Amino acid sequence: MKKSIKPLVAALAVVVSASALAQQAPAPKPETLIKWRQSVYQVLAWNSGRIKANVEGTYNKDEVIRAANSTAALANSGLGALFAPGTEQGKGWHDTTVKPELFTDGKHVGELAGNFAKEANELAKVAATGDQAAVKAQFGKLSGTCKACHDDFKKKD
Amino acid sequence: MSRQRVWDLPTRLFHWSLAAGIVAAVVTGKIGGELIEWHGRAGLFILGLVIFRVVWGFVGSPTARFANFIRGPRAIKAYLKGEWKGIGHNPLGALAVLGLLAFTTAQVASGLFANDDIAFQGPLAALISKEASDQSRALHSLVFYGLLAIVGLHLAAIAFYTRVKKESLVKPMVTGWKEDDPVLAKVAHVEQRSRLGSAIAFVVAALIATTTVYAASGGLLPAEPPPPPAAAAPAAW
Repeated sequence: MKKSIKPLVAALAVVVSASALAQQAPAPKPETLIKWRQSVYQVLAWNSGRIKANVEGTYNKDEVIRAANSTAALANSGLGALFAPGTEQGKGWHDTTVKPELFTDGKHVGELAGNFAKEANELAKVAATGDQAAVKAQFGKLSGTCKACHDDFKKKD
Repeated sequence: MSRQRVWDLPTRLFHWSLAAGIVAAVVTGKIGGELIEWHGRAGLFILGLVIFRVVWGFVGSPTARFANFIRGPRAIKAYLKGEWKGIGHNPLGALAVLGLLAFTTAQVASGLFANDDIAFQGPLAALISKEASDQSRALHSLVFYGLLAIVGLHLAAIAFYTRVKKESLVKPMVTGWKEDDPVLAKVAHVEQRSRLGSAIAFVVAALIATTTVYAASGGLLPAEPPPPPAAAAPAAW
């Protein structure tokens, strides 16, 4: 009986340590991070498209609230993690168009990201009022923060 | 004190309107945000001006006509040797005119199909895929540098004429008159055309320009079908 316990203990030890290792989730691959951030920008495109349509045409208050809230949520979702080291180059859904400067100019990137979040949060507040003109003006300001980052950190194709 | 008629009114109006239009387009394009719509309008305005100028280059007054001032390499050599005697654009200046018109046209054309990856797109972007529109944007960014270079060259040439050759080219482009050139008075004779002829030519050029701008602004694209009632209401989920 005693002899047969050793292999059992050994097996148990292996299983426990393996599961302990498995608890540390593997870091997402660079391609995955690039896919996720490219997807974020596609959703932002959906939102900005419908906000624009609403401020230029028939205004649907609820639609604008949804779009503005979605934009603010994305802006505050910690996008920096999607630009982790190792993602300077690579292919997500398509080749990344990020400029290498984004990975070295942390202070400026943080500033622009902060502006994006600030104006997106403000747009969500303004959208709640249902004021088409005010939404149009704030959307203009938000577009400015999109452009600021593109100008500095997005490749011109 | 003699003076020669050198630039007709449509040409002068075109020149200064184009200068203003390009400045407006550059400023609004660089700032973006709410001004991007004005950038688009400036582009269409510039298109109208350029089309007008091209047509005017065939039916306009003699100094405006391409046939009269686009002369080729031999004439350019002669001009550089100081042997050109004429009025209006000299053979070297002719290259600048062509270059400016070409770069401006390329910039407008690429802009019509481009998008800014934010919320704006050119009036004809709907005709092509997003990828093609992105490539049009890339071209638009590239051509901008060429345009900047040739405008810079143009301004440098004007400055050269003023400072070195002591000849103001700005004043004739404002007033239409070239002052005090006894050699020119003997050699160049600018034929006067009947007012009616000029007026008809102007109307034709303006009509062609307007039609082109209408088409470029998407006027010929099929109208979007009215949205079905369901689409006007928010999505159910």
